[in-house]
Amino acid sequence: MKTAIIQCRQLSHVYSGKLALSNLNFELEAGEPIGLVGPNGAGKTTLLSILCGFLRPTSGKVSLFGYSPGATQLIGKVSALPQDARLDPSFTLIEQLVFYARLQGLTRQQAISEANRVLEAVTLSDIAHKKPQVLSHGMGKRVAIAQALIGKPALVLLDEPTAGLDPVNVRTVRSIIAEQSTETTFVISSHDLTELDRLCQRVLLLEKGILQPEYATINEQQANIRFITLQMEACPATELMAKLQLLNGVEQITNPQKNEFIITYNSDLEANMDMQLMQCISANQWRYRQLSHGKSLEEKLFFRE
Amino acid sequence: MHSGFFNQLLLISQFELKRFFATRKGLLSLLTFAVVWYVILRYPLRFAADMLIKGQGFIEGSSFFDFIGLSSLHHWAIPEFAVYWHFALFIFPMLSINLAADQSCSDRERGTLRFIALRSSRDSIFFGRFLGVMLIQMLLISMTALATLALVVYRDATLFSAALANLLAIVVNVALAILPFTAMMAVLSAKVKSVRQATLWAILIWTFLAAIISGLAHYLPVLDFFKCLIPGYQIADLTKLSEWKTLQLAYIPILQALVLLGLGRWLMVRQTL
Repeated sequence: MKTAIIQCRQLSHVYSGKLALSNLNFELEAGEPIGLVGPNGAGKTTLLSILCGFLRPTSGKVSLFGYSPGATQLIGKVSALPQDARLDPSFTLIEQLVFYARLQGLTRQQAISEANRVLEAVTLSDIAHKKPQVLSHGMGKRVAIAQALIGKPALVLLDEPTAGLDPVNVRTVRSIIAEQSTETTFVISSHDLTELDRLCQRVLLLEKGILQPEYATINEQQANIRFITLQMEACPATELMAKLQLLNGVEQITNPQKNEFIITYNSDLEANMDMQLMQCISANQWRYRQLSHGKSLEEKLFFRE
Repeated sequence: MHSGFFNQLLLISQFELKRFFATRKGLLSLLTFAVVWYVILRYPLRFAADMLIKGQGFIEGSSFFDFIGLSSLHHWAIPEFAVYWHFALFIFPMLSINLAADQSCSDRERGTLRFIALRSSRDSIFFGRFLGVMLIQMLLISMTALATLALVVYRDATLFSAALANLLAIVVNVALAILPFTAMMAVLSAKVKSVRQATLWAILIWTFLAAIISGLAHYLPVLDFFKCLIPGYQIADLTKLSEWKTLQLAYIPILQALVLLGLGRWLMVRQTL
């Protein structure tokens, strides 16, 4: 039986009279990356700040690996990328990362080696001896991610890790998370649903400080009702929907965005719906861009029926 | 695996020493400090010490030093240290307000403290920074005291052993005098958002505390006891004492610092980072 690495019980937080988090109850287990999504002001950063021990909750109980946030037992075990936190401008990157590693209990030699390892992971080894002033926004974000990886912690909380990064660096961050997720559980707060869709198997949805109950089931579909998301090149939407509706097993077709269709089907009636769709598209000489099983995370979270 | 409280305390205080002695900003402060003290040692200190040695400044039984309220200068065996003692007692607490103002406020506003708090306790941060700033100030005090010792030995090398005892007494006492000021800045730094705010609040609090308590004590002498809440309260009395007798009042700054550090720790633990 897996044990919970994060437990929240009746967690609430009030900022100067405004309820930022309302009675959150959830448990998360170690494993695949976990997404934390929600609109601006939903309470994502507040929740992560409480989990990191930066902020004391107004009420409720929180524990990470059985300890309160900020407990010394969590040093080296829990790390984070705090939103908008910047390094000290007086010291070079390597000096600060070595200092952080030493605070985690590494010897000087181990700390130097670890600081170089994490800088290499975010492809910033060449500026290790520079001060933070020379860093662009994206580089600053990558260094902040690097410090979160020091000592290979068991749990890493990332607040908007890809915000402001160019596509190449987004890819780098994605690879780092994918590589380390075998030994580290990542909790990722982000607005980038496409990114979370690629990285996370589980997602928490916060809205106005309230955890939406659907989060636990977004990946659990009824055994026989399945979805396919189909993205087409320019095509006659009405005609396409009419023809697809005639296919065996199709229950419903929606057209949430231009050239994007969601096909709901009964897998008991037609197990190879993807093949049927391809044949229909080919027979009508249409061109498709992408065909994927399931709904996009955006559809699951924000356009539920 | 994580390092213990004392290991973190040492690492954090070492990092503060590095900030002062090995960064451009720190070295600039050090240079300014050196220039100011060069001027003090070169002119007022040597001038006053020369007057004491030659017995000048005495007019009809009272001296120039009595006139400016520094009669206790005669109680010191070595005139240079007598003058240094008076300068140090006023300059170092003032320097402390400036030097110790940024124990945590800038790092908290920048978010750097979050990186540190992920890997050390808030107690380690608070007391580590305090210890670091105290060590820096003690090094500065020692450097100026050693420069004064050099002046003494330059004048008369036979005074070396006597001067060394004076030097130790002075360094210990000045360090004790700055203790509550540094602790007061640690409290303010844990609460306010910038160095500027910390410095302004320190001046305001210190001035109002001194004015209000002194004012109330004037009408109600029983309140005179509360004067011991004012950092530096004992300094005026300290100037009347000399050499190791100065330790008679050491309990005042130690108690003040303990109370202030307790308050600062309480704030630091509850502060949002």
